[in-house]
Amino acid sequence: MGWEEKHVRGYPEFVQTAQRYHGRPIFALFCGDKDAEGRSWCPDCVTAEPVVRKELHNMPDGSVFIYCLVGDRAYWKDPNNEFRKNLKLTGVPTLLKYGTPQKLVEEECFKAELVRMLFTED
Amino acid sequence: QEAAKYEKKVMVLDFVTPTPLGNSWGLGGTCVNVGCIPKKLMHQAALLGQALQDSRNFGWQLTEEAVKHNWMTMTESVQNYISSLNWGYRVALRDKKVTYENAYGEFVGPHTVKATNKRGIEKLYTAERFLIATGERPRYLGIPGDKEYCISSDDLFSLPYCPGKTLVVGASYVALECAGFLAGLGLDVTVMVRSILLRGFDQDMANRIGGYMEEHGINFIREFVPIEVQQIEEGTPGRLKVIAKSRKGNEIIEGEYNTVLLAIGRDACTRKIGLDKVGVRINEKTGKIPVNDEEQTNVPYIYAVGDILQDKLELTPVAIQAGRLLVRRLYAGATRKCDYVNVPTTVFTPLEYGACGYSEETAVEKFGEENIEVYHSHFWPLEWTVPSRDNNKCYAKIICSIPDNERVIGFHVLGPNAGEVTQGFAAAIKCGMTKEQLDSTIGIHPVCAEV
Repeated sequence: MGWEEKHVRGYPEFVQTAQRYHGRPIFALFCGDKDAEGRSWCPDCVTAEPVVRKELHNMPDGSVFIYCLVGDRAYWKDPNNEFRKNLKLTGVPTLLKYGTPQKLVEEECFKAELVRMLFTED
Repeated sequence: QEAAKYEKKVMVLDFVTPTPLGNSWGLGGTCVNVGCIPKKLMHQAALLGQALQDSRNFGWQLTEEAVKHNWMTMTESVQNYISSLNWGYRVALRDKKVTYENAYGEFVGPHTVKATNKRGIEKLYTAERFLIATGERPRYLGIPGDKEYCISSDDLFSLPYCPGKTLVVGASYVALECAGFLAGLGLDVTVMVRSILLRGFDQDMANRIGGYMEEHGINFIREFVPIEVQQIEEGTPGRLKVIAKSRKGNEIIEGEYNTVLLAIGRDACTRKIGLDKVGVRINEKTGKIPVNDEEQTNVPYIYAVGDILQDKLELTPVAIQAGRLLVRRLYAGATRKCDYVNVPTTVFTPLEYGACGYSEETAVEKFGEENIEVYHSHFWPLEWTVPSRDNNKCYAKIICSIPDNERVIGFHVLGPNAGEVTQGFAAAIKCGMTKEQLDSTIGIHPVCAEV
């Protein structure tokens, strides 16, 4: 069956999508918004994205990969934004397995081995 | 992780043999999964319950309805935190290039171990050196019904239902801490003790702890041991009947409980790891491994740290320190050995107990009563005055060696935050603080520690 990817932007869209796939393994990568040329304001996200994408084939069958843009830099810096408050995100990029404490934050996302471990861990 | 820092190729074999009830857990050992961490969190849950009651006297207006506790909510939060720790360790090991296998390791020959994973697949590994840190598991009573119906601390912290009316068998710090927080959460708790409380600890302090617990609603049945556990009714929790016999005479008593928690001791996991195949000597009676002061067993390339060591303190920080220093000696040319003297500890019973150094009885035995001076005092924490909590239970004492400038050789405190208080004094004791130096240190006011 393989896996599928969903693109969302903003917190409400993320929650709606995650709920729709309840019951399947859900992995999410949170990145800063991209400009018209497709570049993110978050340089670490730019570094992490290709590393994560290269490991996607390691996700278990039936997984859903949610690629979520969190918002612009000002929104992200606000300590009360919904991602920080509700999902307890502390930085971007964050790669996590939804519904578990398993996550990788910032430079941890640059390391292919850690990403692979997240995707293949029980 | 320390060895990997020095560019050694390192592998960790971690495996949890499930409990009789099928329970298991992730990477991190006893402390993280079924020991210190969940224990302290549940102790905190119980303290918060008490704080809620006290808060009324300080002006907080709680609603009329009794404040209730939800076991599942607490357990879920605690287990989530533990899972994040398990994950954190996996990331740390991977990041430092330590190979991790969730497999049961045993020696099969010189320099060789066999690793068996939970699917039964075996692999062989060889290494230049080995470090054994397999720890211990709870002991069972060896009576009918114990493994089928009783739980241990391995099961308690992830129990998927509230334990209800509980019988705790044992008088170790594990038994008393668990009994303490279960009662603090509002459960009906009884402790069945074979002889004394907290063997190995200062007995005066142990009795004060027991007295406090008894006055605060925990029942104690002294000098009885269970001889059979029967199931009256299945359930979550079910109903169990415990039959116990007196140690003095032939009296038999029976009691009904929802849960029976065994905390009568822990046995080292050294019997089934093939130590005989490589010639590592163990104490046949206790299963513990004797080592020299550099944590080396009788086989030069095999080392051991932690609870499995003979005659050493069974504490997480001791094991960690011993392990780190060992690796630095082996691979970084360091010479410092682990100092097992004056290690501070804390027992997180409802009235917390912090200690460092000698108990009063050991000091008397070792130095003679005439060479010891004991200074002591009760104290009443300021925070306890307004809510009218006990004014004569908190207690502190120090034991000094008269011939040695009245050097402080024992420190004991019974009161809130005992662990926090003790840590600082432990450093002072390590520096050889004398009574005079202690007296000349001005106290912080108003705190318990100023006493």
